[in-house]
Amino acid sequence: MNQADLSKLVSALRIAVKPKPRLFASPEGPAGRLRKLKATVTALVKYERIELNYPRAEEAQSYAERLISDAIRNGDCHKHTMEMADYWLDEKQLIHKLFKVLVPRYKEYNSSYTKLVLGPKTYPGYYAGTAILELKGNPFPALQPATQNYHYWLHNVLLGEAKREFRVAKAETNANLSEPVASKN
Amino acid sequence: MAVTRFQFLSTFSRQFSSISNAHIVQPKLRIEEIRGKRISIFDKEYKRQQSLIPRLEKIEVAYEGFDNETTTLVMNKGVSTPYNCAQHISEHVMKNSVVAEVNGEIWDLHRPIPSDCTLKLLSMKPEDQHQASLVNKTFWRSCSYLLGAVVEGSFQDDISVTLHSFPPANVRSGSFVYDVQLSLDDWVPSLNDFRQIAATFQKFVRQNHTFQRLDIDSSVALKMFEDNVFKADQIPHIATKSSSGNTVTVYRCGDHIDISRGPMIASTSLVGRCSIAAVHRLDSRIYRFQGVALPSEIYINHFAFGILETRARKLNPARTPELKSN
Repeated sequence: MNQADLSKLVSALRIAVKPKPRLFASPEGPAGRLRKLKATVTALVKYERIELNYPRAEEAQSYAERLISDAIRNGDCHKHTMEMADYWLDEKQLIHKLFKVLVPRYKEYNSSYTKLVLGPKTYPGYYAGTAILELKGNPFPALQPATQNYHYWLHNVLLGEAKREFRVAKAETNANLSEPVASKN
Repeated sequence: MAVTRFQFLSTFSRQFSSISNAHIVQPKLRIEEIRGKRISIFDKEYKRQQSLIPRLEKIEVAYEGFDNETTTLVMNKGVSTPYNCAQHISEHVMKNSVVAEVNGEIWDLHRPIPSDCTLKLLSMKPEDQHQASLVNKTFWRSCSYLLGAVVEGSFQDDISVTLHSFPPANVRSGSFVYDVQLSLDDWVPSLNDFRQIAATFQKFVRQNHTFQRLDIDSSVALKMFEDNVFKADQIPHIATKSSSGNTVTVYRCGDHIDISRGPMIASTSLVGRCSIAAVHRLDSRIYRFQGVALPSEIYINHFAFGILETRARKLNPARTPELKSN
């Protein structure tokens, strides 16, 4: 087994990555698709919160995630990372922002660096709807209200304990069921 | 309070109770008489303590409300309670507050504030984990107390009911508990009995009684609980453990009085759905009554409540009372 561990070669993204890329219709072909995505990733790094059509937002999110995670992993002295930054960011001053602002911001993050929120749908309008794509830790007011933790409320404490007890009982019955089989063998 | 009593206890158990009553030496008083006696002592002591307040002084209470907004209220020293503060704030706060936090210490809603302080009012739906555990514990303790109040008044006169105590509140155990001595040897309650106790509980709770706290001297407490062997036995021990070394805290709710260190919830209207889940016989006529209840603010699906009820039927593992006499 001389195969290298995949997670050491490529950083694992903390978002759900689709198995196949989206093929955006473009007269330029695949190059046109990449041009569109480059424009979106550049805008995201520049403005930190953008509103756009859902498919493009979702597609651009994974490229932006990969760019930031590579920048955190390899730093600005890594040739390939710098080339990728140069490729994905159309405005060159944003390369400085990526390494000097975003890398320190996301160094300690345990979650994804971007957030995709479903936007309003207008009728009649674009079928797939809109989305709001943002970099986490941006200076704007939050899009969604802070979620409250309901786990400590009385009924949830009671139900949580009941659940725990049920699981323990089930594990015991499973153990008891498997034991006689093991003894026969 | 209209005391509802059981008319349906089986003749079997009634026979048993009549036999066992022969062994009891102490003169038997009806529960209303005992309660009336306790209340008269309570009222006298309360009036005495009120008359000790010489003249009203003003204190400043800094109320920390929603979004840490602070409001300063000028209240009466040793007279005004957190509930009075809530009355100045809003009807919602007044009705939904369970307990208060006075200078970070958990405080009954109907207990006078002694000095300048910061005040927070907690509902049954707090945001903070620590506050939630305090509030839940308070609710559970109050439910134990109420269970005692209901059980004491719901048996027929020929069955002697002596409240023993309730163990410290433990929400995670799944049921609140009251240990009671009944003059019945082998009482196995029917499903109807459980429903009747739960209905009495619900009726009592819907009368919106407030929990009134009073610190009394142990001699007064002994006089108050002279009809209850167990409580009279516990009082000296409780008194030595108290901060002043000779006081016992009692709570009054409706016409029931019981010993507890507290704190308790503000009013019985905060208790919503309830169910008496099980009665387990511990030993020598001590029965452990177990129930489960939810705050009136919290509604859950009947299936989910059924899960809680099923779990509450198991014997609660809290410490069992030790009997010296046996």
